[in-house]
Amino acid sequence: MKHLDRSQYSREHLGFLKKRRLHAALVWTLRLGLLVLLLGLWELITRLGWVDPFLTSSPSRIAATISGLYRDGSLFYHIGTTLWETLAGFAIAVVLGYAVALLLWWSETLRAVLEPYIVVLNALPKIALGPLIIIWFGTGSRAILFMTVLVGIIVAVMHMLSAFIATDKNKLLLLRSMGAGRLTILTKLVIPSSLPSFISMLKVNVGMAWIGSIMGEYIVSRAGLGYLIVYGGQVFKLDLVMSATAILCVLAAGMYFLVVLLEKALVKNTDD
Amino acid sequence: MKKQILRFSDVALSYHTVREETLAAEHLTFSVDEGEFVAVIGPSGCGKTTLLSLAAGLLSPSAGTVTRSGSCGYMLQKDELFPWRTIEKNIRLPLEIKRMNTPENRERALSLAVKYGLGDFLDCYPSQLSGGMRQRAALIRTLAAEPDLLLLDEPFSALDYQTRLNVTADVSKIIRSEGKTALLITHDISEAISLADRVLVLTKRPAHVAFFHALDFGDCTDPLKRRETSEFSRWFELLWKELNG
Repeated sequence: MKHLDRSQYSREHLGFLKKRRLHAALVWTLRLGLLVLLLGLWELITRLGWVDPFLTSSPSRIAATISGLYRDGSLFYHIGTTLWETLAGFAIAVVLGYAVALLLWWSETLRAVLEPYIVVLNALPKIALGPLIIIWFGTGSRAILFMTVLVGIIVAVMHMLSAFIATDKNKLLLLRSMGAGRLTILTKLVIPSSLPSFISMLKVNVGMAWIGSIMGEYIVSRAGLGYLIVYGGQVFKLDLVMSATAILCVLAAGMYFLVVLLEKALVKNTDD
Repeated sequence: MKKQILRFSDVALSYHTVREETLAAEHLTFSVDEGEFVAVIGPSGCGKTTLLSLAAGLLSPSAGTVTRSGSCGYMLQKDELFPWRTIEKNIRLPLEIKRMNTPENRERALSLAVKYGLGDFLDCYPSQLSGGMRQRAALIRTLAAEPDLLLLDEPFSALDYQTRLNVTADVSKIIRSEGKTALLITHDISEAISLADRVLVLTKRPAHVAFFHALDFGDCTDPLKRRETSEFSRWFELLWKELNG
């Protein structure tokens, strides 16, 4: 294939590039436009009294609630609490899950022995363990952290194990014909070739970590965004519920975006 | 007498699955001399790849002995270049694994790559190369650790016909000029005739040696030229009959 320099592009190719750019700009405009439209409509129907803002809240009331939380200094306290629980739980689940998956890849016997346990743990709704967690870990951050790890770790183990096992058979044969041992095969082939799966596992686990931390805060907590939502619901302050949910959306999107950045930095040449 | 690089003596091999036991090879005896190019053909499913796995030491025979003097390099149907490594780093892979990753060895592997036309592609990733170039890179990778015996498992069968003829000529030239010993598995009779010094014909399962022919092309080692000779079609006819007879 012959690749041309920018200066050598034909008129047709320049037209193609321009079309692509215009399309991307259109998509972004419509995305933002949709958001503005939805927020505008929401605001409008509450102002006109078509729906009761006591039940649905409204963008302006959410903004006022958030700035109120900011002024009394509790906004960053709640965000920080939940963010810490989520990130720490995410990190522990990913690291431990990866390590367990490596162990299970290494030993076929161990894998066969533990398989039914993993299947059951995966199928079990983790919230069923709520009462146990409160009794074992108390009502502080540790209980929430435990819940977050619990929700994420099984996903990490199963996701990575299936990626390790799916390592190309012919590439394994090639390395074995070169006399490679198991550790060499692991570092030269299994870990690098499973990098795209690692990234997709991270993406799934971003969601899992938020489920874990918010679920944990629903069960036990005195602070955090999940606590604000539960508390807001109990005292019928829907503005508070909506505000905390809006902040959650932004934080979860931000965390996902960071993983995408990581993907762009790490995964460059994996297509065969 | 020439030095023997590989020797199978009365080799048998059984495969075990829960349902059955399959005898893949029995009374398999032959040898490959240093500097020789041997092609192995046989009915499909006769256990040609098993033979390579035995030669590579990846399988141990159920009975008999396989003796190999020196190291071997394995080349597969697909190039199996690691997509996350550049061509240069792919070529260096066997050096890393065999703990031969010294500056001299790296230099030698690189000069091989440059000598055989990969010089401009060293920093490219495999996805940027054509199928033929990738297979050439795979051969240089196989040669990088200076194996005494090349084991080629249908290395051209994944390429389209045009590319295949060119890459076959290419690989033949490289192997001949580096003076390597090679054992090629193929299902393609014409490929075997165009490349080899000797052709080994296997029986169907359990595989053993049906015929072992020395081809009489003299000094003509160019696969494309061989295809034009009258001996070529004579050999083709003979081997065809032996395979289907």
